[in-house]
Amino acid sequence: MLWHRCASYAAPQPMTAAQWGGAGAIFLASAVEWVEAFTIVLAVALTIGWRRATGAAVAGLAVVAILIVITGAGLAAAQADIGRIRAAIGIFLLLFGLRWYVKAIRRYSGRTALHDEAREFADTREHLERAEGRAAWVVAFKGVLLEGLEVWLLVVALGHTLSYAAAAGSAAASLALVVVAGLALRAPLTRVPENTLKYLVACAILSFGSFWAIGGLAGEQAVWPLGDVTLVLLFAAYAVAGRIIAWRSRTAGAAAAGAQA
Amino acid sequence: MRKLLQLIFGDLRNAASVAVALLAAYGVSRLAPGAAGVVLALLLIAAAALQAV
Repeated sequence: MLWHRCASYAAPQPMTAAQWGGAGAIFLASAVEWVEAFTIVLAVALTIGWRRATGAAVAGLAVVAILIVITGAGLAAAQADIGRIRAAIGIFLLLFGLRWYVKAIRRYSGRTALHDEAREFADTREHLERAEGRAAWVVAFKGVLLEGLEVWLLVVALGHTLSYAAAAGSAAASLALVVVAGLALRAPLTRVPENTLKYLVACAILSFGSFWAIGGLAGEQAVWPLGDVTLVLLFAAYAVAGRIIAWRSRTAGAAAAGAQA
Repeated sequence: MRKLLQLIFGDLRNAASVAVALLAAYGVSRLAPGAAGVVLALLLIAAAALQAV
C-alpha cells in the first residue's frame, strides 16, 4: 500500500529508504552504461570530431528519453491491478538482475574477462580507422542507444513503483556525472570499478525483483511480513552469496588447473 | 528487436532459472506463504551458482 500511495498522489512526498535504494540502483546501473557509451563516443569524436559525435550521442539519448516518456506514460495510464503490474515488473527485474548477477560473479571468479574500457576504446578506434564519417556517426548513435536501452528498462521498471521523477532524475544525474568526468579527463574512464558497481546493482535489482514478483503473485503482506526491511535483508543475502559463489568457483577453477598441470 | 529481447530475458537458461524459481516459490506460497520469499531467493542463488560455473 505504501508504494501505491506514493505512486498515485501528485503531491511530492518524502522518499522512503526503499525509494532511495531504487534511485541509487538506477544511478549506479546508469553510470556503468554511460561509461561504456562515453568510451564509444570518445573514440568516434577523435575520428569525426566532437560536434558530429556529440550530435550522434544526443540523437541516441533522445530516442532513449522518448522511450522512457512513452512507456512510462503508458504504464501509468494502465488500469491494471497494482499487484499484477508489480508482479510483472518484478519478474522482469529478476530476468534482468540474474543476468547481471551471474555475469558479475563470473568476472569476480576470473571465468569471464573484466570489461576493459581502454581495450574497448582501442578496438573502436581501430574499427573506425576503416570507416567513413557516416559509419562512425552510426557507431556513436548505436553505442549510446544500446547502452541507453538498459537504462530505459530500469527507469521504467523501477520508476513505476518508486517514482518516475526520481528514476529518470537518477539516470540523468549519473549521465551528467559521467559526461563531466569524461570531458575533464578526455580519456576512457578506466578507473571506474565497473564490475563492483554492476554486482551491487544486480543485488539491488534481484532484491526488488524478488520482493515484487512473489509479493505481487502471492500477496505482499503474507510473503514478506517484515515489509520494506526485507529489501535490505535480500540485498545482504544476494551480496554475500554471490561473493561466496565467486570465491568457490575461483578455487575450483584453480584446483582444476592445478590437476591438469 | 532481438537485442532488446536479449537485454530483457538473457539466454534460455536465464529465463528457465527465473521461471522454475518463481513457480516453486509460488507453490510454496500456497502452503507456507512466509517461506515463499526465502525459497525464491535460495533458488535464484542456486541458479546463479550453476550458471556461474
